[in-house]
Amino acid sequence: MTDSYHDLEQALRALRPTAPGLAVTARLAAELDAPASRSGVVIAWSAGLAAAAATLAAFAFLAGAGEPEAPTYQLVHAERSRPEVQLFRPVELADGSYARPVRVRWEDTTRWEDARTQTRLIDYRPNDQLGFLSLETH
Amino acid sequence: MHDAHSSQDWRAWFARNGAWLRLIACQWARSEADADDVLQEAFVRFWKHQRHLPGNPNALVVTSIRRSGLDLLRRSDRRALREKVVGDDQETVTWFEPESDPRLAALAESLKLLPAEQREIVVLKVWGDLTFDEIGEQLSISPNTAASRWRYSMQALRRNIIARTHD
Repeated sequence: MTDSYHDLEQALRALRPTAPGLAVTARLAAELDAPASRSGVVIAWSAGLAAAAATLAAFAFLAGAGEPEAPTYQLVHAERSRPEVQLFRPVELADGSYARPVRVRWEDTTRWEDARTQTRLIDYRPNDQLGFLSLETH
Repeated sequence: MHDAHSSQDWRAWFARNGAWLRLIACQWARSEADADDVLQEAFVRFWKHQRHLPGNPNALVVTSIRRSGLDLLRRSDRRALREKVVGDDQETVTWFEPESDPRLAALAESLKLLPAEQREIVVLKVWGDLTFDEIGEQLSISPNTAASRWRYSMQALRRNIIARTHD
């Protein structure tokens, strides 16, 4: 059924989507370079401050050629997402009691803007924690 | 947790896929800066949360972009109400590189005229390389509905291009 549109699909594929700008590429590179750590079943992401510093450095580098002053960011938005709760099947713990593992994920996002250079800085911190809800058995 | 893509160079992956990912972000953006923000936020979320998961990373990144796009719309709507912004700001977002071939240029313009629900199917199928099953999962619709929307969008694009050709 879709074969009759093959020519149109090929023509669409010939269009070249615009690539992301240098600024977003630099910001992503800074994020990917930021260290993250894992510990046991509780996962804690620690990229926040390092990423923010690296991102600021990237902005300063990109703006440096023609802009002698570094951007001055103002906090314009802070948001905590609705937590996603995932319940798992009950498990038996080492002491013989039972508990239900629960995983909670949420994100903290702050957004900073510099009006003069019209640049933005997003500090994004995903949180992912695993805990146990004790179950009473009779 | 096992990392299904432990050998993946995500910088290189982004360099290969960034353009079409940005195109998807553009569907939700009213400015270049918004598109960049959506893309950055979504890719970072994917990279930190989901890059180790098995399966097609395209679909996971698309999910993340849609989520960031929805968040942006919620924020933008509040901002627009506050600032009483009017007009179709989407015109200011560049989706494609300029085309010297007038037929391709017409096609790019026609794509923008499609209803959002059809346009999204086209973008996900053509540039995201997602199947109708995967698109259905993304949009919470059946694969048959995704395929129907695809056919409607192709018919609309063809009509529009023929009309432009005869103008």
